[in-house]
Amino acid sequence: MTDKQYESKYKRVGQRYNRKDAQEKVTGQALYTYDLEFPGMLHARCLFSPYARAKIVSIDTSKAKALPGVRAVLTGEDSDILVGLYMQDKRALSKGETRYHGDIVAAVAAVDEDTAERAISLLDVKYEPLEPVHNVDEALEAKTLVHDDINHLKHIEGVFFPQKDSNIASWNKSRKGDLDKAFAEADLVVENEFSLPAVAHVPMETHVAIVQEDPYSKKIRIWSSAQSPFAIRQIMADSFGISETDVEVHIPFVGGGFGGKAGIHLEPLATLLSRAAGGAPVKLRATREAEFNTLPTRAGMRGRIKSGVTKDGKITAIRVNYDWDSGAYADYGVNVGKTAVYSGLGPYAVENASIDSKTIYTNKVFSTAYRGFGHLETHWSIERQIDILSQKLGIDPYEFRMKNLLEPGTRTMSGELITESSGSPKDCLTAVVKEIGWTGRKTEEERQREWKTGKVRGKGFAMLQKAPAMPANTASSVIMQMNGDGHVKMMIGAVDFGQGANTVMAQIAAQILDIPIEHIEVMSEIDTRANPYDWNTVASKYTFMGGNAVIKASKEMLRKIKEVAAQALRTEPEMLAHAGGEVFHVHNPERRLSYKDIALGYMYPGGNSIGGPVISSGSSIADGLSNLHPETGQGLPALDWTFGAHAVELEVDVETGNIEILKIASAFDIGQVINEKLVYGQITGGVVQGLGSAILEGYKFNKNVQLMNPSFTDNKIPTMKDMPKEIVPIYIENPQHDGPFGARGVGEHPMISVPSAIGNAIYDALGINFHVLPLSPEAIMLGILSGKKEILGTDVENLPGH
Amino acid sequence: MSNEKDCSMYTEHVESGKRKVTIQLKVNGHQVVRDIDPTMSLLHFLRDDQKLFGTKEACGEGECGACTVIMNGKAVTSCIVLAVEADGAEIKTVEGLAKNGKLSILQEEFIAEDALQCGFCTPGFLMSSRALLDHNPNPSDEEIIEVLSGNLCRCTGYIPILRAVKTAAERERKELGR
Amino acid sequence: MLSRFDYFKPHNLNEAMQYLVKDEKTFVLAGGTDLMILLRRNLIDARHILDIKSLPETQVFEFVEGAGLTIGASVVVNKIVDSELVKAKYPAFNEAAAALASFQLRNRATVVGNICNASPGADLPPALLVFDTVVNIVGLNGSRQVKLHEFFTGVKRTVLQPGELVVSITIPEPEPGEKSTYLRQARLRGHDLATVGVASRLKPDGKVALGICAVAPTPLRLFALEDQISQRGLSEETAVWAAQEIKNHIRPITDVRSSAAYRLHMASVLLKRGLLKLLGKEG
Repeated sequence: MTDKQYESKYKRVGQRYNRKDAQEKVTGQALYTYDLEFPGMLHARCLFSPYARAKIVSIDTSKAKALPGVRAVLTGEDSDILVGLYMQDKRALSKGETRYHGDIVAAVAAVDEDTAERAISLLDVKYEPLEPVHNVDEALEAKTLVHDDINHLKHIEGVFFPQKDSNIASWNKSRKGDLDKAFAEADLVVENEFSLPAVAHVPMETHVAIVQEDPYSKKIRIWSSAQSPFAIRQIMADSFGISETDVEVHIPFVGGGFGGKAGIHLEPLATLLSRAAGGAPVKLRATREAEFNTLPTRAGMRGRIKSGVTKDGKITAIRVNYDWDSGAYADYGVNVGKTAVYSGLGPYAVENASIDSKTIYTNKVFSTAYRGFGHLETHWSIERQIDILSQKLGIDPYEFRMKNLLEPGTRTMSGELITESSGSPKDCLTAVVKEIGWTGRKTEEERQREWKTGKVRGKGFAMLQKAPAMPANTASSVIMQMNGDGHVKMMIGAVDFGQGANTVMAQIAAQILDIPIEHIEVMSEIDTRANPYDWNTVASKYTFMGGNAVIKASKEMLRKIKEVAAQALRTEPEMLAHAGGEVFHVHNPERRLSYKDIALGYMYPGGNSIGGPVISSGSSIADGLSNLHPETGQGLPALDWTFGAHAVELEVDVETGNIEILKIASAFDIGQVINEKLVYGQITGGVVQGLGSAILEGYKFNKNVQLMNPSFTDNKIPTMKDMPKEIVPIYIENPQHDGPFGARGVGEHPMISVPSAIGNAIYDALGINFHVLPLSPEAIMLGILSGKKEILGTDVENLPGH
Repeated sequence: MSNEKDCSMYTEHVESGKRKVTIQLKVNGHQVVRDIDPTMSLLHFLRDDQKLFGTKEACGEGECGACTVIMNGKAVTSCIVLAVEADGAEIKTVEGLAKNGKLSILQEEFIAEDALQCGFCTPGFLMSSRALLDHNPNPSDEEIIEVLSGNLCRCTGYIPILRAVKTAAERERKELGR
Repeated sequence: MLSRFDYFKPHNLNEAMQYLVKDEKTFVLAGGTDLMILLRRNLIDARHILDIKSLPETQVFEFVEGAGLTIGASVVVNKIVDSELVKAKYPAFNEAAAALASFQLRNRATVVGNICNASPGADLPPALLVFDTVVNIVGLNGSRQVKLHEFFTGVKRTVLQPGELVVSITIPEPEPGEKSTYLRQARLRGHDLATVGVASRLKPDGKVALGICAVAPTPLRLFALEDQISQRGLSEETAVWAAQEIKNHIRPITDVRSSAAYRLHMASVLLKRGLLKLLGKEG
């Protein structure tokens, strides 16, 4: 089923509703944190380290402080507050040493941005440049420690494993079967290395926070362009030593996140500035340069994979090492590393396997979650390796995958049993392979023939999987109140930053209550004082967890309505049915009441009243998840796996290296479409973002580890001209029994494995295996010109220094 | 209003020492006369002075199109236009698209085709599209793509936006006789 | 932006010139697409901005038989994209203009600005070079004309002296039956600076002119290679030969946009494709 042909079996779930907040967004009324102003508000600017690693010898702030309009100037000497999601390794301002080119050295709050910028220009900092840690190999040698206090960093124990006297922020592991024996018995053993650079999220609204620390109550009020208000609340409370209740977080409209706004970033510094400025609200907004160079990114990664297979195409052994170039601070990076140990094999059933995943500190811009974190990266490695294995075995890559994919009765890397309720990778693969008309790999003769025309076509595909990566106690909740007109006001704890959470939740409630979706209003601004708790808006978890919470709340609302209606109609609640905003007796439908007669309490004709305002709530918690065993990685980390596959047809210009994507078909087993229009948008958007990672994007550092492309001039993202000629979304609906109407998440998945599918299609076209992203025209062309069949990459660190 | 007006006459701003220059222009049909700092960009004039927050800054360097407005009938990135250059000009922003409480066809089609997700780039896309359709009521796919590729969107993958502009053009031709 | 500047919109050229010489920190504003970025990044410290858009001399867009096309310093690039005259007479110029930046930027960016900015990778110079474009410069002590290939002196540097202003360029009239084309490579299909751009022009007498950007500190006119090609006579074989030979005429560097190796390769491919296109044999 694709796009506009989709038909749902439900009246409201599955329908193509317009998104709830669209009207505000097309009229310019939608206000983002960037747009907010408050009385007495100050504007902040930062000074960034020009070196990847340097000693801060001195900072003279006197001229900046003397500038009229300046209200606060802060340096690292002014605060020792440590912040961190999983490891407390980051200061709001660097102290003593800077750890990356872009690290914040000083900050100013002033009456306007101009004055703040001028004050920054008046700061006089003396640095002593130090030799930086360039890459993961140097980091692993541990001659220089990015954090020399690594042995004492506070972190979540038993989940993350920093290594003593090293640059390893966490070393996570998983093991199963007897790997040595399996390799010894394999007919063929193939070992490869793959890598990809750091890539930026590029939300159109850069990070921005407005914070006021009330000088009297010490309460902290935050308005932020962020995905996770409750995580900010908790971390701020921890870092500043106050109660969670004394931190209020407001999230207005958010101009994109993609994981880059999942954690906590500018809020602590803005708080310190507000405090230093006597409690004025302070707005701290990242410029686009700071967004690239100071705010975190997706980590670069190197994957080394050794696989053992039998002659007939069964994978019997895999040993994987993932090394994450996570930059100066751990942030979400350690969780990315952790995720790789249970999901880093892709959707394959392999009995003997080991994964070692190291999140490594270097002196680069630090890393965080990015849409499907860890998965685009690990799948780039795994799905290229699978393709190369099938080449070496001489087996069709479709057949080869079908022999090894997870299916009911098999187990994942962490030992989870796959059932019919888990969804089907095979259905996804079969659907996309059919859509692009796959008939097998090109022969060398066919390639040569096409090569003479200057353009060679290729087809390829790749699998993907992802489950939400989250703690075992991840929870969502919702509060619903009925108004006197029978409409419902809903408060959720997740942020709708474009993925459509508000619309999806409204549809689920509307389905159960059987009222028009227009009668459900989801409060679009999150305020932690009013909205109920939600862990983080990340991980493609919300349709599943929020959906289940809304189902509970809607059913409770219905139960309360029916209890009052039963009394009023002199019957039992069980005798009542509901439809179109009314409850009625199942046998005598004329005995009926409208929701609005009950919404604020039912009043009999004589005046006696019963019930009262109808309010309900619902919670959901990640059901049955367990922490992974520290040594074996065994356990249940996944609430719902969404499996998927992409298949690509492309054309390579063999003289220029330019690639044209002619078609990409993308199938996901999402159990049940909740809103076809929104799913479609997640797929087209995710595929094009994945295309950016595949053929275009990436950070470039010079030999001094300074970022060379901190602007749109040289850090490009796809434009409308770069769209694939055709994107075909395919929805597979094998329901998950504990999902809302059977649904699973799909927000992140469309991005994953787009690079792998393109890499595989390029092999089909050219007979060349590329191991490094991006597959830019330059990389493709230089690969062709090299005459080699395995392209292990170019040295990206050889650019001249500033 | 005239281009010939002498802009070299300044009044010294007493407190900050900044020079001010008077500009007179039309914003969404309204006459505006203001004394401004000549270093101010048109974007900042619209946002900070006129409090029209629909126009967004996402790069400040003309690379992303989020700040696109229509100036004298042409789509421009307002972040790299000085406000004083708009003296005598006619400016249209996203706030000027809907009339009499009714969304324009273009806005309706952006909603219907889900041509937006986070919505931050949307005003810019709407204004680039509006300028295009004003000049060319029946653009080909290639013409739409040529004009809109100066606007970056990280959410939608662009396909829904292309669909929205096509259907809007079709409806405008039919319903407005363009 | 740290710059604090006055803004001046002169009534006539003389007023403009008087203003220009008053202070060395005076910068000329036409389209502003480069200037505003320099200001924003604090790469220049401006005290005065001279907006030349109101000067009639800069608004000229006039073709005179025998003399050619004169384009004033305020004429924006989209005017070139939309001009049927340019499409007909100077196809390479039209193609280069259409390849430059994005649609919105082309509504502001001027042709002359693209030249005066003297970026090694600017798209318009290669095309203008092959048409023997002349730069019309005005100074307090009178005016002078400089051939475009003598205009650039280095990265972001030109022959312009303090107090001088480019008011327009003149592109001589092409001969009937000419062909020309501009081909470029970039990192993506959307707006980007050129990795390499090659303009080529074939005159009815068989003479070839070649212009190229992003392979040297300035945009280049490849006179020596042109002569060699003209001597051999343009043919498919010559195109293939020239594609190899061009490597002896350029010295591209490795930077954040491209490696020298890829630039060298693409210069070769684009030259071959351009020449074949002139021969009516598009690959």
